[in-house]
Amino acid sequence: MKALFKRDHWPLWVVLSVMALALILPAVLPWTYDQIDWDAVRAPAFSGSHIFGTDEIGRDRLARLAAGTQVTLMVAIAAALVSLVVGIAWGATAGWVGGKVDEAMMRFVDALYALPFMFIVILLMVIFGRSILLVFVGIGLVEWLTMARVVRGQVMALKQRPFILAAEAAGSPPLTIILKHILPNIAGVALAYLMLTVPQVVMVESFLSFLGLGVQEPLTSLGILVKEGADDMDMTPLGLLLPGGLLVLLLVCLTIEGERLRDIYS
Amino acid sequence: MSVYEIRNMAIQIDGKRLVEGVDITVEAGKCTAIIGTSGSGKSLSCLTPFGLTPGEAQGSIILDGIDLIHADAHQMQDARSRLTGFVFQQPLTALTPHLTIGAQLQEAAAQVGPPRLSRHELAQKLERVGLSRADERLDQFPHRLSGGERQRVMIAAAIAHEPKLLIADEPTSALDASLRGEIMALLDELRLEKGLAMLLVSHDLASVEGHADHLIVMDQGRVVECGSTANLITNPQEEYTKRLIAATARLDEPAPQLQAVGDILLEIEAVTVTFPRPGWRRGKIKAVTDISLYVREGEALAIVGGSGSGKSTLGKAIAGIGPLTSGTISWQGQSLPERRARTISMRALIQPVFQDPVASLDPQWKVRDIVAEPVKNLQSEILRKDRDAMVLKALEDVELGEDYLDRMPASLSGGQAQRVAIARAIIASPKLLVLDEATSALDPLVGSSILQLLRKLQQAKKLSIIFITHDIASARRLCHRIVVLDEGAVVETGDMDLVIRNPQAVTTQKLIAAS
Repeated sequence: MKALFKRDHWPLWVVLSVMALALILPAVLPWTYDQIDWDAVRAPAFSGSHIFGTDEIGRDRLARLAAGTQVTLMVAIAAALVSLVVGIAWGATAGWVGGKVDEAMMRFVDALYALPFMFIVILLMVIFGRSILLVFVGIGLVEWLTMARVVRGQVMALKQRPFILAAEAAGSPPLTIILKHILPNIAGVALAYLMLTVPQVVMVESFLSFLGLGVQEPLTSLGILVKEGADDMDMTPLGLLLPGGLLVLLLVCLTIEGERLRDIYS
Repeated sequence: MSVYEIRNMAIQIDGKRLVEGVDITVEAGKCTAIIGTSGSGKSLSCLTPFGLTPGEAQGSIILDGIDLIHADAHQMQDARSRLTGFVFQQPLTALTPHLTIGAQLQEAAAQVGPPRLSRHELAQKLERVGLSRADERLDQFPHRLSGGERQRVMIAAAIAHEPKLLIADEPTSALDASLRGEIMALLDELRLEKGLAMLLVSHDLASVEGHADHLIVMDQGRVVECGSTANLITNPQEEYTKRLIAATARLDEPAPQLQAVGDILLEIEAVTVTFPRPGWRRGKIKAVTDISLYVREGEALAIVGGSGSGKSTLGKAIAGIGPLTSGTISWQGQSLPERRARTISMRALIQPVFQDPVASLDPQWKVRDIVAEPVKNLQSEILRKDRDAMVLKALEDVELGEDYLDRMPASLSGGQAQRVAIARAIIASPKLLVLDEATSALDPLVGSSILQLLRKLQQAKKLSIIFITHDIASARRLCHRIVVLDEGAVVETGDMDLVIRNPQAVTTQKLIAAS
């Protein structure tokens, strides 16, 4: 954890600043994300209290941007954490038990990998209707697979290390060995992959929202904002550039950070 | 006449002086050996004059009349290719994997320019280094050859262009123990036949003393002592040299006084361990076949064999941390089951110590917790307060103090880490220690101090020991009896001194020749 402050982890700090802004801004802005200002439809930037202007039905752009960033990052972090927990549990079990159990568990992972993900999500949406919960389920369904594979490999490598054998000889029960010896030693790698999962989830969520399958109006996300901006880009390019630029910034920073952590830990 | 002469050489990397005041002389047909622990600057001193390290050399370095310090690129190239041959430690990585043996040899010979050698000549070179079916080998890739065969190819390539100086950097230390003697004998033979000057680098005094004419002992970037081998060994002047000689186990040293032994504690009968071959339905590998042996109370038993002889697999099966396919392991008549089926009280009887001391400690744990782990599980009735006292006692037993309690494994040296591992093994008062190459990853000085520590512990606690190793000479300092393994089966067993004096099996003879 100390390493995060020692090396130059500016991408992480950029992401954290964006996150802090997205949390603070709605509280201090005079407008909420779904409030319509009838006097200022399609207002340009810096007109009155609308710093970035308003959209085609008079909602404050900055307020919507903050709300959208909140939703996107919330979905991303929650889904990444779910994938972390499921992936570690699945991968560690397969790696530790080994043999036929491992074989069966990993073939199951392979099978899920092979499913056409988008198709499944769209199908789920059609059957159960659109809800933010389904977005979670859909994303969580695929994102833990990579984590499970990575963790399994790490556990299998660690299992042969002398200090694990010494713990076994010292009479530590298997669960203790996994919790006290193996998990702390794969935490670094897991953290790195967690960092890499977040931008992937941001991508998927934005994509689903762009297609109109993600969160519902008036709730918004970066993907929805990009879609709205794209519909109206010949009139007000700012509507596309702002959420698009922010999305790119977040993705680039998260990916660079993830790659850095991966280089440190593996 | 000296072929290679270094006077007062200093080497620095990035402005840091790592080697100072080194004099080396190598004469034609003679062998000079540099001995030192890791980090003593011995490899640096050998390779830097040829521009093979990032270091910068100063002083006077003259190879066959060429001044290497002031040499231009052309002369340097000449010195490196025409005059010198190199043999490195890792035969696998030193051969280019995608070139056939013939192509490697041809490339080596072509360093001095045309003509290209005919296939027949190449085959002759391979035969010279003792490879059979030489013609067939020319078309093979390095991965088809064993470690010893690869090192022979390396030697053939190093002398293919008839150099005047051969530099061998730890040529045998990556090889199986039973092969070391043969490779050293081959180097000797070639040196005499071709009048080569040879510069040998090693950490192990025992492996060079029969071969080198001249010894240079290095420590921390300086020459401690140098002189003719016979003179230096019989009459060392410096304290460091004396310690190094004392630390090096020799077969002709007087037999140690070992403690008396009691009744049979551990008995294993017809133990076999098989592993499934990697891949799906590829059959099984027999790592250990039908081995029976016993250990008495207070007795140290050496299990000796080359790599792949199944000695570690056997040790793990005994310690209950590896698989056991068939056979019985019993403790005073009571049978010990396989691996996870062992109860806590059975676990408390046998504790292992491993080869790589750093890898055998959890990098995330403090020394305090590492040493306390067996007590927590094996003697869970002991209170936390008493446990702390036991940890301290165990650390004192291995000659480490209170200030080690809160250290992390990464901050320990190899010797300290091995002491912590031994403290963890003895804290719960086991009856038997299984030491799997416990001293072979350490520098000779450190290794011999660990060996001394083990003897002390054995006497103080009446411990039985199974000492798994490839090094008969160091096993002799500790062990009463010896079991020699080859290909997973016992080839010879008996009293330590009897076996050394009169070895019957070929494997035993090779292992003795190597130490």
